[in-house]
Amino acid sequence: MRSFEYITPASLDAALEVSTRNAPHVKLLAGGTDLLVELKHTANGPKVLVDLGRVPELKGIEETSAGLRIGAMVTHTEIMESRLIAQHAPAMIAAAVTIGAVQTRNMGTIGGNLVTCVPSLDSGPVLVALDALVTVAGAKGKRQMPITEFFVGPRKTALSPDEILVDILIPAVMLGRPASFRKFGLRKGQALALVNAAASVAVEDGRIADTRIALGAVSPTVIRALQAEAIVTGKNVGDTAALREAAEMAVTEARPIDDFRASAAYRRELIAVGTFRVLEEALAGATAG
Amino acid sequence: MHHIEVTINGVLRRAEVPPETTLLSALRDSWGLTGSKLGCDVGDCGACTVLVDGLSVNACLLLAVQADGREVVTIEGLSGFEYLHPLQAAFERLSSYQCGFCAPGMIISAKALLDENPAPTELEIREALAGNLCRCTGYTKVVDAITEVCRDHANAVGVEESA
Repeated sequence: MRSFEYITPASLDAALEVSTRNAPHVKLLAGGTDLLVELKHTANGPKVLVDLGRVPELKGIEETSAGLRIGAMVTHTEIMESRLIAQHAPAMIAAAVTIGAVQTRNMGTIGGNLVTCVPSLDSGPVLVALDALVTVAGAKGKRQMPITEFFVGPRKTALSPDEILVDILIPAVMLGRPASFRKFGLRKGQALALVNAAASVAVEDGRIADTRIALGAVSPTVIRALQAEAIVTGKNVGDTAALREAAEMAVTEARPIDDFRASAAYRRELIAVGTFRVLEEALAGATAG
Repeated sequence: MHHIEVTINGVLRRAEVPPETTLLSALRDSWGLTGSKLGCDVGDCGACTVLVDGLSVNACLLLAVQADGREVVTIEGLSGFEYLHPLQAAFERLSSYQCGFCAPGMIISAKALLDENPAPTELEIREALAGNLCRCTGYTKVVDAITEVCRDHANAVGVEESA
């Protein structure tokens, strides 16, 4: 690793100040599970490394009137062990347990996962299915945006170089909404997703009043399968044929690629199976209670 | 250079390290604790697994400066000259490793599991070890050793309770 200056700001303002002052030769350190690997293999490392590990504004999980707030520096293990998340957004736990291995989940953070923004990121689909908002802070103040706008492309987010991802908000209206997550990898442990999928549903009087279907690793960023959503919205809860039709439609909305992990054709099969299963599981959750 | 103070296996240790030093390098090169191994150096193999404030992490992906003020447990902290940790004894008894390179990380991950869950299922053991790769023995005897330690522990607790 090339040398750098290591700074540990104790507040968000201090972190913003030091990263603005040293831009663009700055990298922000969250859990480090991606960044340290990158720094070991790059010839042009940052001059300044800002460790966000001691910034209190980026930590914690809490319920507010706006919804469930999850600090960007919350680790995957903390998500798995959070009573609030188990109560309000358990699909986030289903996604977190599939990330890396224990060691990765103990260090890696949800904010880091979102900022690294690989197309297969496992935190993405559930957050899209739950209409999450993200807050970013910069020298000019904070701004909030839907997570779908935060994801711009592979390893590319809406963050400006002088901005820091602060937190993720699951809006109050989505808390407790039945949701489901599925990931397909080449094996269970330490695998990147070939396809991952999430769905949330709102059921009223035995009909699907609202749904969100999110797919990862099948396009440059996590996508919503809007046409598939339109097919199931308004249908009866037991309408399995509609779920199958939606699953086939979701395949046409994705743009999977061939790579060394799987062929595009295999990924299309997984999209159909995954979409069907997440819808089925989310609906099972909606009708169980 | 950064001055760091880390409690390692119960002993406060100090070092002057450049900021790009990993915790693994500091353990091995500054403090001579070579039980934690450098395998893949990218957080995949788990040979460098140590506990930091009770949680298992890859020491190759943590900077030494990040460990400043924290508590680290390495494989050297589990045994003394006179005794082995029950996990180490079981690994030895069942020949759970051949070359031994992965064993310190495997044992630390197993300890992290048993500290939280003294009676894991086989699936829970396998999931807890997903971040520790072995390229020679395989995993069956590793799982056997951990299972045996859990059984011995359960028996010992049972004896205490019935006494």
